[in-house]
Amino acid sequence: MPRYLVERIFPDGLGLGPTPDGERIARTVAANNAEHGVTWIHSYVTPDKKQTFCIYEGPSPEAIRKTASKNGLPVEKISEVRMLDPYFHY
Amino acid sequence: MQSSDFLERDNDLAVLTSAYAQACELQGSLVLVIGEAGIGKTRFVRNFADTCPASTHILWGHCDPLTTPAPLAPLYDIARDTGPPLSDMLQTGTGSVVLFGALLEMLRNADQTTVLIIEDIHWADDATLDLIRYLSRRLEGTRALVIATLRNDEVTRHEALRFLLGNLTNSRVVKRIELERLSREAVASMAHGRIADTEALFAKTAGNPFYISEALANPAASIPSSVRDAVLARAASLSPEGCRLLDLVAVLGARVEYSFLERFSSYPVSALGECIGGGILVDAGASLLFRHELARDAVHDAIDPLARRLIYRDVLAEAVAAGLEQREKWAQLAHYAEGAADLDSLFRYSLSAATAAVSLGANREAAAHYAKVVEHSADRPASERATYLSAYADTCTTFQNLDEAIGAYREAARLWREAGDFLREGNALAALAWPLVRTGQNAEANAVTRDAIALVEPGGDSFALANAYRMQAHLYMLDRDRPGALEMGQKAISVSQRVGDKRTLAAAEMVIGAALLVDGDESGKSNLDRCQALAQAHLFDDLVALAYLNAGTAYGETYQFAKAEAELEPGIAFAEARDHLHSRDYMIAWLALCRMYQGRWTESSELAVDLLAQPNLAAVARITALVALARVRIRRGDPGAGVLLDEALALARRTTTLQRLAPVHAARAELAWLNGDAKSACREARTVLELAVGHRHRWHTGEFAYWIRRSGEAFVAPEWIAPPFRLQLNLDWRGAADAWKALGCPYEEARALAGGPVSARIEALERFDAMGAVPEAAQLRQALREEGARGIPKGQRTSTRSNPFGLTTREMEILNHLVGGLSNHRIGELLFISPKTVDHHVSSILGKLGAANRAEAAEIARTRGLNPTK
Repeated sequence: MPRYLVERIFPDGLGLGPTPDGERIARTVAANNAEHGVTWIHSYVTPDKKQTFCIYEGPSPEAIRKTASKNGLPVEKISEVRMLDPYFHY
Repeated sequence: MQSSDFLERDNDLAVLTSAYAQACELQGSLVLVIGEAGIGKTRFVRNFADTCPASTHILWGHCDPLTTPAPLAPLYDIARDTGPPLSDMLQTGTGSVVLFGALLEMLRNADQTTVLIIEDIHWADDATLDLIRYLSRRLEGTRALVIATLRNDEVTRHEALRFLLGNLTNSRVVKRIELERLSREAVASMAHGRIADTEALFAKTAGNPFYISEALANPAASIPSSVRDAVLARAASLSPEGCRLLDLVAVLGARVEYSFLERFSSYPVSALGECIGGGILVDAGASLLFRHELARDAVHDAIDPLARRLIYRDVLAEAVAAGLEQREKWAQLAHYAEGAADLDSLFRYSLSAATAAVSLGANREAAAHYAKVVEHSADRPASERATYLSAYADTCTTFQNLDEAIGAYREAARLWREAGDFLREGNALAALAWPLVRTGQNAEANAVTRDAIALVEPGGDSFALANAYRMQAHLYMLDRDRPGALEMGQKAISVSQRVGDKRTLAAAEMVIGAALLVDGDESGKSNLDRCQALAQAHLFDDLVALAYLNAGTAYGETYQFAKAEAELEPGIAFAEARDHLHSRDYMIAWLALCRMYQGRWTESSELAVDLLAQPNLAAVARITALVALARVRIRRGDPGAGVLLDEALALARRTTTLQRLAPVHAARAELAWLNGDAKSACREARTVLELAVGHRHRWHTGEFAYWIRRSGEAFVAPEWIAPPFRLQLNLDWRGAADAWKALGCPYEEARALAGGPVSARIEALERFDAMGAVPEAAQLRQALREEGARGIPKGQRTSTRSNPFGLTTREMEILNHLVGGLSNHRIGELLFISPKTVDHHVSSILGKLGAANRAEAAEIARTRGLNPTK
């Protein structure tokens, strides 16, 4: 399945951390994703928490958008990506 | 042997019992039981049936391994159980869709749970496969569990079965059980005490239960090297009389009624006890069976060919004497005749079997029978052979075996010419046009239709002439040649009115209507309405669906989306209900395209994605769906548009028609442009420009002109292009925006605004942002910045991001009311929306909060300090 990089912007900052709330949200997100064949691999967040770059595996950009909508997460841009790791070359 | 092979079927049995339990709760489903020959499918299903409560209604149907299966054989079995109305309907030759409806009604109205079993569907005829597909889509809300068994080693050879299985893969109500071979341990326990070297037994038989049981029948002997050998070894222990009887039963077929067997006085019927005792044959009440089809197969193939033919002759003679002709068992008789090498009888029975199969919609079988008829009619007069070839070609067309159909129609035409029958030759040529079109050979189709008309016209009014005119009109319509379509269509109408050919009349009205609508002439609607009325009155179901289809797609092609929807939505429902899957799929694809133009991108992509996931989607539907999805991705800036359009282009090229190529090239132009490749955009737009201009297609030409100009090339567009494009090219940005707005195309409207002064461009940017049209927004934003414009919107959308759970403003409003404990109805009243819409929002809220119910959601809102009122 293809991998996608999803860029998100949170003008008020993302409220998702290692708190009980955060855990609950994370689990809900995972369940909603699974329903559409989408897997959240991991994300990168800017220090001000206003921008995230998330790596997902899923069948299509539409599935990414569907789960984003269900989880209440904004989508700024979706790009298809492939992994490139320095270790591949040694 | 019995208990151990059930031990390993526990999990599989559990699937059936749970499906049964669901069926009792009105959640009917279809379960496919799949496995290789000899794996024990029948035994497994029988075992399950035994575990069902006594109140269960169990219906059992079988498919038989005839050379060409008898249509709806399992339904006949079932009808014997159910009695009227089903049995009466089968007697009177009711059409298959009505039959299916009656069976479904029966299942729906039953008080007890029904288990309907159809065995060996790898031997099923087309009509039975249709029945399974029909039921599988309508079992929810019934207390019915349908079980179908099949051999997976037979699937690859059988196209219709593959098609069905492909269709069923996506269905939620279809479950699969794949029966596995037995494990070493199971084999060991089966063989315990009977064979010492269970390892060798396991290795040889690979755990196939039937093979194992055959080997165990003769434990003293060495393990036979194949199932065939195992069966024959068992048979070898019979007396000569027993063998002779066994051969007879093998020829007779899968299930032999005792009453029929007793007629064979010249055979040692008394040896029956020996055969049953030896475990090869099984007594099933009123009939006799081989222990397994594999056994029958092995015995049958082992009979000396000459001796076998003689047995078939005896069987055929007895079958006729027993009245099988009166009972219209044509497929069975044809099967016997073939084995007997009685070509005359084969010819006669195949002909009757073919007609019977056509009436029941078993098209593949009808074609197979007609093929035999054609094969064995070499010495008959040319006109007779031509009739058979035409009939053969007709059936081939219905299940898309187009190359065969083309060859057969040509040959039929040639024979009619030989016989001097110009009318029929013309008819055959007119019929030839359609498969030619479907295989993309439009020029050839045109040629043969013209020939057809030339042949038939001199003879004056006739059904053949009406048909030929109609076909020609249709070809003109497909080519978007309005005058040609109207002229020929009118001729077709006049002739069909004079000869009373209602069907051609309806079809001709449809062609004219489509030709007018596609040209933007609303008067075409009355033609299509007349077509609908005629088709509905005379039950021409396929024409009813096509009328919706042609109206809907013509409106879609001319950007009249509200009208398109008004045709496509009922059309899709109708086609779905009557199982016209090709029409349905094409209409869904067009609906996706309409939604895309209307800016309803999520809905569009959902329709397209679902459709594209279907196997066996017809090319025209596939192309349209690919274009719709691609445009959504292009406009959003999502990845994956290019690969869709590459596939669409390959498919469209095969048809060589403007209708298919233009939308693909237009989408490719848009993609190239938004990727910053103006040169490619221009090249794509020019690829079929001449063709579009030649056909005077106002919309395709308009869009091509737009992209050429936007790429920076000079281009003078004809003044007849569609108004919104014309206004845009004339730099009347306000006029163009208004025109697009009137058509309900928000994206094109915003694009038009972007051609105006700064204030309009800022408005356009806000629109692009709101729609999520990222590429256009980015380009416009960049341009505005470079110009130093002021008041450029920042590009942030609605408050989805403004709280940690991601609730929208509306959802927050509703959450507030949930905290207050209000009902959906009351909330709807307060917010002026329907309770259904409220429910939709509540589901979304629950999902985002991870709450199981409203109370929990309210609790979370309160305790987490979600302050809903801002």
